[in-house]
Amino acid sequence: MTTPAATAPLRRDGLGWYLYGVAAADEASARLGAGLAAGTVQGIDLVAEGPLVGVTSRVSLQEFAEPALPERLRDTTWLEQMIRTHEQVLERVLEDASVVPCRFCSVYRSEAELRRFLSERREVLQAALDRVRGRVEVGVKAFIDRDRFAAGRARQNEDVRQQETQVSSAEGGRAYLERRRFEQLVASELERFRGEAADRLHTRLLAAAEDGLALPLQAPELSGREEEMVFNGAYLVTADRGAFEQALASLGRDFRDDGVELELTGPWPAYNFVPEELGAE
Amino acid sequence: MSSRELEGYRSGQPAQLADVLERVLDKGIVIAGDIQINLLDIELLTVKIRLLIASADKAREMGIDWWEGDAFLSKRNGQGELEERLRKLEEAAGLPTSPKQESG
Repeated sequence: MTTPAATAPLRRDGLGWYLYGVAAADEASARLGAGLAAGTVQGIDLVAEGPLVGVTSRVSLQEFAEPALPERLRDTTWLEQMIRTHEQVLERVLEDASVVPCRFCSVYRSEAELRRFLSERREVLQAALDRVRGRVEVGVKAFIDRDRFAAGRARQNEDVRQQETQVSSAEGGRAYLERRRFEQLVASELERFRGEAADRLHTRLLAAAEDGLALPLQAPELSGREEEMVFNGAYLVTADRGAFEQALASLGRDFRDDGVELELTGPWPAYNFVPEELGAE
Repeated sequence: MSSRELEGYRSGQPAQLADVLERVLDKGIVIAGDIQINLLDIELLTVKIRLLIASADKAREMGIDWWEGDAFLSKRNGQGELEERLRKLEEAAGLPTSPKQESG
């Protein structure tokens, strides 16, 4: 293990290059470059290296280098702003060009290091770009409304309907017990339904997409919705999205009576469809 | 920006922070080279911001507020122990837990 003292001293001041993502020079330089030249797009520096461009911003190294960074990371207002900016810059780029997104806080201390990365990793970066070119990522989330699910089951299922009737006709202590039994019945129906619904959604959406994967479900505190999330997926689709949206609409209609609502998000840069590691140098 | 309820699904909502987080912090290429934050830091960061958003109140109720102290992200302070505490908090918050690491 080398100590910092044994290598060249690291620069901790001045400006570094925050790399948001990598795009193809031919695509990015035309429209995005024109926007930058005209001043309609601001705060982005394009660093062209051969057929690739790095989409960057100049950032203060004092802000990003240790020991300032851990301090910064505790400031959640700063953090959220940085995360939003990261996403917004990439979304702006996506309007004009396909882009391979970088993970949050990828910072180079010097332009030379950034250029070396772009030229040394050209092949893998280009392969990643080819995969996402002309495509975007979209997100699909499914939420279930428990009351509407129970009502839907009562319409379809004799057992559930009988139970529901008993609940509404019972009084006093018996009403409580009947309600408990009804809730348990709904819970077990829901338990079975969740897995089936997620499988059906993913299978049919995947068939209408180039690629896709299921993401972890979000708790209500994260999703911002009271209803339970039963599915969360990301799909790589052609930029026009026609076939995918048709499949989604059809699924939405199929699932409506079950109290399931589908939500489409995006277009996103293809975060979920680029390699995480670029492989050995 | 149109709601497509008639079509069978909703769209055009402003991006939820949770959706941004699960992409910006968890996905995208990780560059080997002159990067300032290493992967471990990013994982901790992901967990930290999720916890703050998801369950800071819940954690405080449980009397856990270590993330407000100096120990967080400090490698000198027993990474293994921190990770164990993170995992417990994640479980308490009903979040997917970090992969367990070999103790070393």
